[in-house]
Amino acid sequence: MKPIRLLPLLAIAAVFATAARAADKELNLYAWSEYIPQTVLDGFTKETGIKVNYETFSSGEEMLAKLLAGGTRYDLIQPPDYVAEALIKNKLLVPLDYKKLPNFKNLLPEFTKMPHDPAQKFTVPYMAGTVGIVVNTEKIKEPVAGYKDLFSARYKDRIVVLDDGRELVVGAFYTQGIGLNDITPATLEKARPILTAWFKNIKLFDSDSPKTALLNGDVDLGLVWSGEAAILWNENKKFHYVLPSEGVHMFVDVLAIPKGSRNQSAAHAFLDYLLRPDVSALISEEFPYTNPNGEARKLLTPEQLANPASYPKTDRKLDTFRHLGTSGALIDELFTDLKNTK
Amino acid sequence: MQALPSTSLTDSPHALRPRVWGWVLLAPMLAWLVLFVLVPMAILLVYSFCTRDDLGRVVFEFTFENYQRVFDPIYLRILGRSIGYAALTTGICLLMGYPVAWFIARQRENVRNWLLLLVMIPFWTSFLIRTYAWMTILKGNGLLSGLLLSAGVIPAPLEILYTPAAAIIGLVYAYLPFMILPIYGSAEKLDNALVEAAHDLGAGPVRAFSEVIVPLTWPGIAAGILLVFVPAIGMFAITDLMGGARVPMIGNVIHNQFIKAGNQPFGAALGIIFTLMFVVAYTLAQRRGRSSHP
Repeated sequence: MKPIRLLPLLAIAAVFATAARAADKELNLYAWSEYIPQTVLDGFTKETGIKVNYETFSSGEEMLAKLLAGGTRYDLIQPPDYVAEALIKNKLLVPLDYKKLPNFKNLLPEFTKMPHDPAQKFTVPYMAGTVGIVVNTEKIKEPVAGYKDLFSARYKDRIVVLDDGRELVVGAFYTQGIGLNDITPATLEKARPILTAWFKNIKLFDSDSPKTALLNGDVDLGLVWSGEAAILWNENKKFHYVLPSEGVHMFVDVLAIPKGSRNQSAAHAFLDYLLRPDVSALISEEFPYTNPNGEARKLLTPEQLANPASYPKTDRKLDTFRHLGTSGALIDELFTDLKNTK
Repeated sequence: MQALPSTSLTDSPHALRPRVWGWVLLAPMLAWLVLFVLVPMAILLVYSFCTRDDLGRVVFEFTFENYQRVFDPIYLRILGRSIGYAALTTGICLLMGYPVAWFIARQRENVRNWLLLLVMIPFWTSFLIRTYAWMTILKGNGLLSGLLLSAGVIPAPLEILYTPAAAIIGLVYAYLPFMILPIYGSAEKLDNALVEAAHDLGAGPVRAFSEVIVPLTWPGIAAGILLVFVPAIGMFAITDLMGGARVPMIGNVIHNQFIKAGNQPFGAALGIIFTLMFVVAYTLAQRRGRSSHP
């Protein structure tokens, strides 16, 4: 009788064992939507046998909220620089094991030891980019140099902007000479009248795909991510990309392993795979942001490297966002209020 | 006191068995309500009195601040606008949906079934896909604009996408079936002899409609109004996509607290107040409905 009674227990144990083995062969990746090509994921699975579960988000804040809420145990996440900084400060990331990342050396030195991870212990840069102005030069004949030109009344209802309060506040800060991370009730009050005037001229707020309205001809100007501008340029050379004269915000999206990751070896394997020049070049082909991988850049075509949105020719200092803490809520309140009174 | 005898009757041993069975059959529904309505509401209620840390994690420290902020004029105005959009959507849906429902209900049975199928076909695709399809129709160089331009009706491309009008079009389109179906349910049951009797007794079309048809189909109308108005207030995807995210709705604001602003306690407080308003409005409507039919 005894063996028979044990049988169900054995069956349960067997199920757990296979589940554990399956977890070895799976990587839970939480990353931006429209950012990692399917061919890259498939290539990794083909080489290693590790299946990648790619879950997506559309803002750094969304990622943070869901990561902290628990639920899925992510093995690898893709926060923007300032969210990575917050995670490092709160000790929520696992230090990288560089022995498992031989391809790390391919990165350009200026993309390592950045302000969000000064000791270069926790994060690997994925892609970088800027926020700038796209001009449809077929419709807009006058030069548009910066935020002041973009939001002038003559372009009323011809503008799409990112649906992102912080980007717009920073634009207003630049025109007033306020530092982009200096977010306090006082500086926001200074930005308010400027933004009120700007908001009257905006036709559309869209962070997910601002290029669509430009391509459709519904608007002629945009404040967009440089990757979107690069795709527009590839589509039609009439779309020019301009770095705002008042100041430029640069972002770096990084990859990091959160605490609680169950499969850190697979996470390292995937990181190293992404750092391989041929793989990284493949990513640039589909999502033409600024590639921080020097070896990969050597594989890009002259035309890709000449894209003014992906690789802007500038020697100006580019600013990066820092972690804001609770003052992020101040921006949201101002943003909601401005949209409300528009 | 009058109710006492009846309770003692159902407590008799003979009545016990069916009662147990009744509970067994209700159990899945009750479990659903507890797990997905009561428990989440309880979590929201607790969160709404909490604060948060600099990463947006909920900190269990008692505060009334979130509720104070709900009554800030900014958010009251957004709520007012959301109610306005929802009311307009409900009104248009009623005006468009009533004749359609009435027409379908008056057809032969097989025609009726085909027409009902047509009303329901849009549900076979995701509403997001249908919303994007509307954007293709309404955009500056889109189908509608092109058609009107080539017909010479308008001199310049139509500028309707990303305006409040586009948002209303999207809302009406999405919720129209929810108005048609319940009204159809009432209209189909309506006995035509009663309408004829009204005519025989000298009522003109207007009077027959307002004094016979409307009261008899009122349950369907009321259900339709509720089914359109309530979800339309909280909708944020259509107003974002078709309205260009230019004016915030209360649904956007709540969504943003959780996804963008990292302020779950405030989002929870907004959700609680919003739910309370519905409960109060609903009970008031019910009470009025009961008192008007004594």
